[in-house]
Amino acid sequence: MNREFCQRYLEDPEANAAHLAECEKCRALADSLQSSVLVQRSSDVRELPLAAWEGAGHRSWPLVAAGLIVVALIAAFLFMETDSSPWRALANLPSADVLISTLRHMGSAAQNAPASWQLVVGILFVIVNAIFIALLRRAPRGIDV
Amino acid sequence: MFRRVVMPAMAVAAMLAVMLIVLPAGAIGSDRTIQARQSHDRYAFGHDTIIDSPVAGSMQAYGGSVEVRDVIDGDLLVFGGNVTFSGRGRVNGNVVYAGGRIVDGEGRIGGEAYPLASIGGAAASMTKTAVVLSLLFVWLVAAIIVTLASGREVRLSSIEIRASALHCFVLGLVALTSFVLTAIMFSYLVPYLIGIPLLAALAVFAILTKIYGMVAVFHAVGTLVAGARTREQLASRKWLRGDVAMVVIGVLLLGAIRLIPAVGAIVWSAASVFGIGVALATKFGRREPWFLTWRPAEA
Repeated sequence: MNREFCQRYLEDPEANAAHLAECEKCRALADSLQSSVLVQRSSDVRELPLAAWEGAGHRSWPLVAAGLIVVALIAAFLFMETDSSPWRALANLPSADVLISTLRHMGSAAQNAPASWQLVVGILFVIVNAIFIALLRRAPRGIDV
Repeated sequence: MFRRVVMPAMAVAAMLAVMLIVLPAGAIGSDRTIQARQSHDRYAFGHDTIIDSPVAGSMQAYGGSVEVRDVIDGDLLVFGGNVTFSGRGRVNGNVVYAGGRIVDGEGRIGGEAYPLASIGGAAASMTKTAVVLSLLFVWLVAAIIVTLASGREVRLSSIEIRASALHCFVLGLVALTSFVLTAIMFSYLVPYLIGIPLLAALAVFAILTKIYGMVAVFHAVGTLVAGARTREQLASRKWLRGDVAMVVIGVLLLGAIRLIPAVGAIVWSAASVFGIGVALATKFGRREPWFLTWRPAEA
């Protein structure tokens, strides 16, 4: 067995196929690789687990319509029963002016907060965002679809 | 989704912020004006307060209750406590409160009383179930639109939830805390106008993250409960197949759980945390790194 020939064979098996006839070790390696390829080829695609993308593009419009109609009908029935409407719930929410005014108040409160509070918020801001960035650096683990 | 909506929204907010910094005409007031406006305001942090003398400005309390025995000329903001009126107590402006309630406030508030809660929470006087169902209808429509627009991304995120649920949950919790702390930091800039666009950009990003993440959670729940396990099962199904169907099933299931008192709110909140986590973990389903690592060029 010549180590140099073995190396050449490993680098380009097809061009140095004749080497297999004279080297038992490389022949055994080639046989093992071939058998693993054959095993892979013999696997039945239908026996493989169902991939996430299979059938994913199907759009079940009847189910969508049924879901929307059922939810809308139940909500409308309950509103009728209580003699109210969704708009009344929206009317209870603060307007944009009130929200902006509240934000301004909170901004001034942040500046007038005790020094200990400001220090704690500052330290927490740095620590939490450092952890946040460290967690964001991890690559997703989900399988390919 | 990220390229179409989030990036343009963030870019517009960033441009607006830069314009406000660069163009001094956009600035409001001077330091003197702010000082003058704030000089009558009163603050309380971490303790209860009794207002027994007139307040010319606004009153704010964080982490404590307020008993109003005299007149507050401006607004009253109370976070994490109750507002109790007694004697000649009155608020001429608005009362904004969260995490508490107003006691004996009838006819004593010149403006309006706003509970800083969700729409469902604000609708205490109405049938809460009806409001929750209305919101569920909105969620259903939004989920269908997002899935039709970017089904592949939603599917990728859904797989990520099932593959590494703990990471998504922890990331969601940390992200939520980070949003709150960043909002507090931005609120320091509110008096200088730049703070409002920054807060608005943060709010837009947080809301988009939550919406996209919830759709991914709906997909994951739908797939776990009603997803096909084999090809034969998939082929035999007429309705219960495809991304849209899984999302609809997920919305209806989580929506039904949402209607259960106490448990529903906890489950929905947990789903929100998962959603925010998975949206950020997968970069809105694009599975690209958030940060590029610098590496020297190899010869």
